[in-house]
Amino acid sequence: MLPSSDVRQFAFDVASNERVGDGIFRMVMHAPGLAPILSPGQFVNVAVPGDPSHITRIPLSFAGTDPKAQTIEIVYAVVGEGTARLSRMGEGDASTVLGPCGKGWRLDDVSGPALLVAGGVGAPPVLAAARGLLARGIPFDVVLGAQTAGKLWGVGLAKSLGAGRVVVTTDDGTAGIKGFTTVAVEQMQGERDYADVLTCGPQPMMAGVARLALADGSSCQVSMERMMTCGFGACNTCNVAMAAGGYKACCTDGPVFDAREVAW
Amino acid sequence: MVSEPSMAVDLGGIKMRNPINTASGTFGYGWQFEGFFDVSCLGAITTKGCSAEPWDGNPAPRMAEVTSGIMNSVGLQNPGIRAFVEQDGEYLSGLRERGCQVICQVAGHSIDEYVRAVELYGELAPFASGLELNISCPNVSQGGAAMGATPKAAAEVMRAVRGRTNLPVVVKMAPHDVPEIARALEAEGADALSLINTIPAMAINVHTRRSRLSRPTAGLSGPAVHPIAVRMVWEAHRVVSIPICGIGGVTSGEDAAELILAGATSVSVGTANLVDPTSAPRILGELEDWVREQGATDVNELIGAVEC
Repeated sequence: MLPSSDVRQFAFDVASNERVGDGIFRMVMHAPGLAPILSPGQFVNVAVPGDPSHITRIPLSFAGTDPKAQTIEIVYAVVGEGTARLSRMGEGDASTVLGPCGKGWRLDDVSGPALLVAGGVGAPPVLAAARGLLARGIPFDVVLGAQTAGKLWGVGLAKSLGAGRVVVTTDDGTAGIKGFTTVAVEQMQGERDYADVLTCGPQPMMAGVARLALADGSSCQVSMERMMTCGFGACNTCNVAMAAGGYKACCTDGPVFDAREVAW
Repeated sequence: MVSEPSMAVDLGGIKMRNPINTASGTFGYGWQFEGFFDVSCLGAITTKGCSAEPWDGNPAPRMAEVTSGIMNSVGLQNPGIRAFVEQDGEYLSGLRERGCQVICQVAGHSIDEYVRAVELYGELAPFASGLELNISCPNVSQGGAAMGATPKAAAEVMRAVRGRTNLPVVVKMAPHDVPEIARALEAEGADALSLINTIPAMAINVHTRRSRLSRPTAGLSGPAVHPIAVRMVWEAHRVVSIPICGIGGVTSGEDAAELILAGATSVSVGTANLVDPTSAPRILGELEDWVREQGATDVNELIGAVEC
């Protein structure tokens, strides 16, 4: 069989783009053709117009899609010049987006109950997984961690998606448990047996969550983040080191990996 | 009716239907782009560099965006020529049959490794229209300079591989000492030159005081390097008679036209492929428009036609 790629280029226009937290924005993009074919945990690579001196696209995960309205819901943090430019796009502004990129959550492998653990803007792909689990009737709990209360996003959505429990942690204690998500994970593991743990967030956080999950006998899927250029396997810039040696490509082999595969 | 200009060019024995090629490392092995456009519309593609044995490449992070460009330190990660042919050979044979030339890039750390790689391509890759000898990757040197850093070293590699293949050999050159190295390569039987490779550069995170990449330095590409590429192609064209594939920050037909006027026979699209995967066919269309606008009946009339 000939090798092939599913990634295509689509036109999009902005349906809405609003601030939903301290440096956190939510964009709904109208991307006919792309929205219905995205799976939870995949990502899209967005060309943000307005500054020809910054040429790269911005790879972004999504919290959900509406196949009927042909829209994709993206929640992102403004962390640099590119995401600042993205936050200034207004309703009706148009550009292009590449997708569907990468391999998403393997939800068919999840037997449940599942524990979903997100740090910062790891929340959107984790809540995309929650939608998938809801559709499959698999019970799950959610841990949402942030630096501070103002940067927290997704608590209401997690509840509305039918999470058994939603536990919040903040580094500074301004909401929920003071500390990292791992503190909450350890507590919750003592109270319920989780068959599966799915996590997305900063790499040190995921390493900690993966360690706890594997020690507890759970399966663990992790969604990795890397500096990424093309998003479809052409440039080899987004490598993830593997426990068995060598690298895999975050954009085509991931971004979701089995935690045991990754060299933490 | 206005007749269509002829766009066919001959890159040292690689007969291309038009001058547009792709820069190695920015186009995967070709098939990654078939979902964006019909790759066979291009004159040629140059596949990601492969070595005789697999290479892991460098640790992450391998990419940093800088003003008008990107820096990369991939370090020629590749599965080795055998696995490359197994995985991509059938697609590339088909691409060749569809009329697009396939240039396979050769990577090595030593003269022996280049020779072995050239021989392996000869044995295993009948789809190859030519080989591009990468003697100038800035990201694989192990304490020393790249293999092609001096005219003498570049000549030694070329001399060693010349007798080992009948395929056209294009040599990918570093962005320094261009006239001297170009002359040395021509004297050793190179069929064509391709330039420029990425420019060694450095980007520092001032908050952490660390390099923004996993190595101290990395290769700069993109629009930032384009005028440097134009100058270097012009310098090479003045001193050699073998054809040149111009590479460096091409994002439009005008950029490609500049390289052709400076002396390039073909032009590779590189970083632009990663930003807009439909760049190469768009640039081809814009280049054709320019040839027509110049009143030329054949793009070859415009090679090196800059009036300084």
